[in-house]
Amino acid sequence: MTFVVRPALLLMALALLPAIGEAIYFRDKISWQSPIPASEVVTVDLAESWGENAIWIDARPDEEFAREHVPGAISLNEDRWNELLPQFLQVWSPEKKIVVYCSVQSCNAAKEVATRLHEEAKLPNDIRVLQGGWEKWKKVTSRR
Amino acid sequence: MKCGALILSVFLCASARAELKWEQTTLEVHPAFGAKQAVGYFKYENAGKTPVIINLVHASCGCTAAHALRNPIDPGEKGEITVTFNIGDRKGTQIRDVTVQSSDPDHGRATTTLLLKAVIAPPLEVQPALVYWNGGEDPRPKTIMVKAAKGTVNSIKVTVSDPAFQAGFEPVGDSEFKIKVQPKQTAKPDRATITIQAEGSPKIFSATAIVTGKPAPPNAASR
Amino acid sequence: MIRVVRIVWWTLGVLVGGIFIYAGASKAFNPVRFATDIDNYKLLPWSFAVGIAFYLPWLEIFSGLAVVLRKFYRGGLLILTLLILVFLAVTIAAKVRGLDITCGCFGHASEHWSFPQHLAVDLAILIGLVALFGQELVGKEYRPGNEGR
Repeated sequence: MTFVVRPALLLMALALLPAIGEAIYFRDKISWQSPIPASEVVTVDLAESWGENAIWIDARPDEEFAREHVPGAISLNEDRWNELLPQFLQVWSPEKKIVVYCSVQSCNAAKEVATRLHEEAKLPNDIRVLQGGWEKWKKVTSRR
Repeated sequence: MKCGALILSVFLCASARAELKWEQTTLEVHPAFGAKQAVGYFKYENAGKTPVIINLVHASCGCTAAHALRNPIDPGEKGEITVTFNIGDRKGTQIRDVTVQSSDPDHGRATTTLLLKAVIAPPLEVQPALVYWNGGEDPRPKTIMVKAAKGTVNSIKVTVSDPAFQAGFEPVGDSEFKIKVQPKQTAKPDRATITIQAEGSPKIFSATAIVTGKPAPPNAASR
Repeated sequence: MIRVVRIVWWTLGVLVGGIFIYAGASKAFNPVRFATDIDNYKLLPWSFAVGIAFYLPWLEIFSGLAVVLRKFYRGGLLILTLLILVFLAVTIAAKVRGLDITCGCFGHASEHWSFPQHLAVDLAILIGLVALFGQELVGKEYRPGNEGR
């Protein structure tokens, strides 16, 4: 059956070439570890080092924000997007970095808020999702 | 094929062997305009000879609630799990998953993932939500597009919160409008909220106009 | 008559190969979206979804092209036949277990197809592939040096 298997293996090997090419081309847009690419994620330490040059956005539901949030963070979630977005834009400026966080319970909220800021508000800013979210921020800052 | 990848994964994973048979484990719903919730009813039947207990119904996301009506489920009995997802101001295709763990004496534990796909069409889309001018930039008008589903909006009302900006609009298609916003000056910072309301609808949408009063940041394209 | 028969086989090959080229091409240039689509079903780890998103469309395209252009023809037929056999076997197994996989094998056109419709189309493709395979093996006598043609 080699007259069937060998060309099949050749085709499978050939298909690998553009697949690998695409994996390299899209390496900044897609991460193998998580659905959010590395270029769109920021660690707690790096985000904190930006100080006043960053605006923090809390993408969690209202009750969670009201209970506790990163000092100075602005609430912007998809439950009340139409109401909260103009409030956020009152403090926005184009040169600042934007750090969006959510919690384990809010699933993809930070990524979805970041995407909407890019696509709907067409913000030119560098928008990042906080790696580890609210829980990680609590853990890192409580150690200090 | 997408189908192939999905089916391959079903084949490879250790999937449910309980006697709980599901009519569908993926449901697509199209909530009406303005609906506050998207609801899916996942029907099941106990096709076995022993009662099945639903141990856990867990929604992975806080904005989704799921509950089963009866427990345990006797042989032959039918029921459903209701999955409710709060829409809020979300739009597009939203997918939420709910994990159901069940057990029965004959087959032990089983896990099923229910997927609710809600296709949400917002009543009005405003894009972009922000127009801005850097300090010293030419104060030419910038455009905001307002779109609704065809045949739903005849006219809109546009108001600007600050006289430092002027806004006018014109229809450009069926339920489609172009708003042109222009600042009077770009030397000093100014901000205004542009309120947009569809004729006959109480819901208010808004966009923001900003004069930053500062020169363009390096590597940032203004819009 | 022989000419008509040849044209029929050629058309069948182009049709079957073309379906897979279309299916692959519609996904090949947006692997991010395809990986997200696979991941949305929460049945595979993310890294598997990414690997499949990059590789599967190109495998479909190259195998489809092999069948249309009759280069590495038997290899293309084998890969496409295996793919469709796996799809069929697992669709049936999943249905028997009470799981309904409603997904778009052929893009949005098939999103609302029922299980019998999906099954019918997949079976038709399988029959086409098996017929092409049979015609290839019976019609040409194997000789060393024929591999891949």
